Amino acid sequence: MFSQWFGYEAKRKRLFDKAPAGPLKDYLSIPFPEPKTALHNTPILALDFETTGLNAKTDQILSVGHIAIESFEILLSSAYHQVIHTQGDLKEEGVIIHQITDDIKSRGQDVEQVIEKLLQAMAGKVVLVHFAQIEKNFLQYTCKKLYGMAPVFPIIDTLVLARKRLDQRTALYSPNDLRLFNLREKYKLPRYKAHNALSDALATAELFLAEIERKYDKKSPPLKSVLL
Amino acid sequence: MEIELQEISDFVSTIHPFEHLPQAIIEQLIKKMTIRYIRRGTIVPVEPTSQGRLYLLRKGAVTLLSEQQELLGKLGEGDICTAFCQLLETIKFSIHVEEDTLVYTIACRTLSVILQDYPEELSYLQKTSTQRLHQNMKEMEGKNTQALSLMQTTLSDVMNHSVITADISISIHNAAIIMADKNVSSLIILQDGQAVGILTDKDITKRCVASNVPVSNPVEHIMTTGLVSVSKDSDAFEAMMIMTRKHIQHLPVIDDQQLKGIISVSDFLRHEGRNSVYITNAINKSESVEEMQEHAQIIPQLQLQLVQMGAKAEHLAKIITAISSAITRRLIELAERELGPAPVPYAWVAAGSHARREQSSHSDQDNALIISDQMAKQDDQWFAALAEFVCDGLNQCGYVYCPGDVMATNSKWRQPARRWTEYFTNWITTPSPKALMYSSIFFDLRCISGDTQLVDDVRKKMLRLSPKNNLFLAHLTFNALKLKPPLGFFRDFVLIHDGKHNDTLDLKHNGLAPIVDLARIYALAEGVEEVSTIERLKRVSGTKSLTRESADDLLDAFEFISNLRVKHQAQQISIDVDADNFMAPSEISKLERSHLKGTFKVIQNLQNYVEIRYKIS
Repeated sequence: MFSQWFGYEAKRKRLFDKAPAGPLKDYLSIPFPEPKTALHNTPILALDFETTGLNAKTDQILSVGHIAIESFEILLSSAYHQVIHTQGDLKEEGVIIHQITDDIKSRGQDVEQVIEKLLQAMAGKVVLVHFAQIEKNFLQYTCKKLYGMAPVFPIIDTLVLARKRLDQRTALYSPNDLRLFNLREKYKLPRYKAHNALSDALATAELFLAEIERKYDKKSPPLKSVLL
Repeated sequence: MEIELQEISDFVSTIHPFEHLPQAIIEQLIKKMTIRYIRRGTIVPVEPTSQGRLYLLRKGAVTLLSEQQELLGKLGEGDICTAFCQLLETIKFSIHVEEDTLVYTIACRTLSVILQDYPEELSYLQKTSTQRLHQNMKEMEGKNTQALSLMQTTLSDVMNHSVITADISISIHNAAIIMADKNVSSLIILQDGQAVGILTDKDITKRCVASNVPVSNPVEHIMTTGLVSVSKDSDAFEAMMIMTRKHIQHLPVIDDQQLKGIISVSDFLRHEGRNSVYITNAINKSESVEEMQEHAQIIPQLQLQLVQMGAKAEHLAKIITAISSAITRRLIELAERELGPAPVPYAWVAAGSHARREQSSHSDQDNALIISDQMAKQDDQWFAALAEFVCDGLNQCGYVYCPGDVMATNSKWRQPARRWTEYFTNWITTPSPKALMYSSIFFDLRCISGDTQLVDDVRKKMLRLSPKNNLFLAHLTFNALKLKPPLGFFRDFVLIHDGKHNDTLDLKHNGLAPIVDLARIYALAEGVEEVSTIERLKRVSGTKSLTRESADDLLDAFEFISNLRVKHQAQQISIDVDADNFMAPSEISKLERSHLKGTFKVIQNLQNYVEIRYKIS
């Protein structure tokens, strides 16, 4: 785990040297929290994307939602949501899920602006997501297109935390149990409307607090014990 | 504010006194809030008021205890805790988090700034905590009458005043003799007149017999010391919580070092049984369907409470069914008051699970009318009106209309006794699988109100025919075998895939129904008039249809699956989900899994056996 983090920090420095001046270089200029930092002292940004599809290479980020966690408290003042004005028409099956229509989309901001702001929000923080692949792949691919280079970022994945916990038990579970909605139900967390980037980021943040409380009780583990 | 925080805003706007505030103010408040998750078992320290925060409980439950550990109040979802917000806090207390809790919090200082133009709301939030706690207790009364009834019950009402005791000097053997003699499962051991330990039959089994300790040894060697006890003034709810937490079955009641009595789990059950009698009484006194509907709403809570106290499925089903019968009877009385007396004698009968006394809190209604043969054609008008009143009322009380239309409102099932005998004669002597599929529910019949003799006569004639008609039994078997226990369950997850209940085991159709069906076949083959599954199996045990061993196996299987279902439904009720029969594999422990597998095997073997016996040639 440590070497992985070490990899993050080393890679950040390496990329920082190569990065062109601009938002990505600014982002990379700020060090990540150290792995031995107690989790409650770690600045965390719960993040979620809605996308036009599942393939980072052919699909695009459609909306970004995030919310910050400090000292195990979710700060509603930090809540942020932005729709992106993507290119091309939306697919109907997607619109049904995320309910962002072409009209709403056309009032969105350009992807460059949104990613720049996102990188500012992420700087110096650990990113918290549920099922990291989507956010990771889309962000890396989008940055590559915008800045010619993919950034590195430390991640905590609530799906992985939950899977580790369930694997230690004797009872069987189905993959369905690992879905954000179902895990929240297990912790008796309130039902939020799914498939809105900010709602989902908030939902992930609450689930994270629940998982950490359940696993570590009142102690605060070091960051490295939960990093992906 | 981001529109996406609407859910939080919606929630806050429903809480008093925020509901009166304009949306813009709510949004300002929300922007300053943080969310915390507090684990069950945490004790939240009371911070100095200068740093006080208002807590809004989004999920979970907390208890407020005084310095002397007295219960000041309980807060649940939607409650606010202003306790940290008072300028002058006179009572010292602590907050104990009883269930995992999600709270929205805001600093009291910020709150008073944002609410400066709303003095009424602000002062409400700054009321003394005693006033608030009082109010909360009042609100709770409405919500949870069951817990409250235990809270209002002092222990001396429930406990057993005559405690059987023995001196510490006696031998295990003599202690056992006393216990057998007085027919008790525990004995309080005294030294110099003071209680120093407790001896239970479990202690004797485990620490004496199983450990090969001679029975001539003094009880001191095997008794449990470090007695957990309560005082006489505690309420019954507290005592129950202690017993649940410490996993103990017997709790001595001690005041001023004097033994006053003892309380056991069965004392609570008896008390709760009385509570269901209270509900029944309340139903009997109801003057309208609406009033009854209110009482019926308590049934899921009652079910939960009973399970938490260790009630078995059989016991529970009997209580729930008794309440259903009471509701039905009262509805009939109200209907008769409106319609005038019945033109001819009749019997209101329940079919299916109600008749078998195997209802859980969420059952459909299945009913019919057997009317005296003196019935004239125009009399049906009265009975149709009765049926409509009662079936509508049942539906309103939570027993939804039968999807198969097995209800007295269906004229087919509202007939004179001779027609019913014709029905049964047809079903039995010229059976067809399809007709039997719909009619098998009528072979489980119980008179709920009216002339029992009408039902008994129809049943007697039916049971005279059924044992002799092998083809009928064969068709019944053929239908019953359509529901099979999913033996491959744990290997390859033979589970339901209907969208709503993905990857779950249907305890009713794959577990209980096959046993219910088998018991019905045996009972009809042996001409046994019993209706409930357990009674049927006991009656046919040792007959040509079912060996004693197999009967015992099936009874065990039925009990095991019923208890699994009860546990599953109680869990659902406790998290406010509608109770159903679909169990996820993760709910089943390793031990239960192997037991369940054995249970399915038993059912399968007996299904194979009847299949061979009544083979349709």
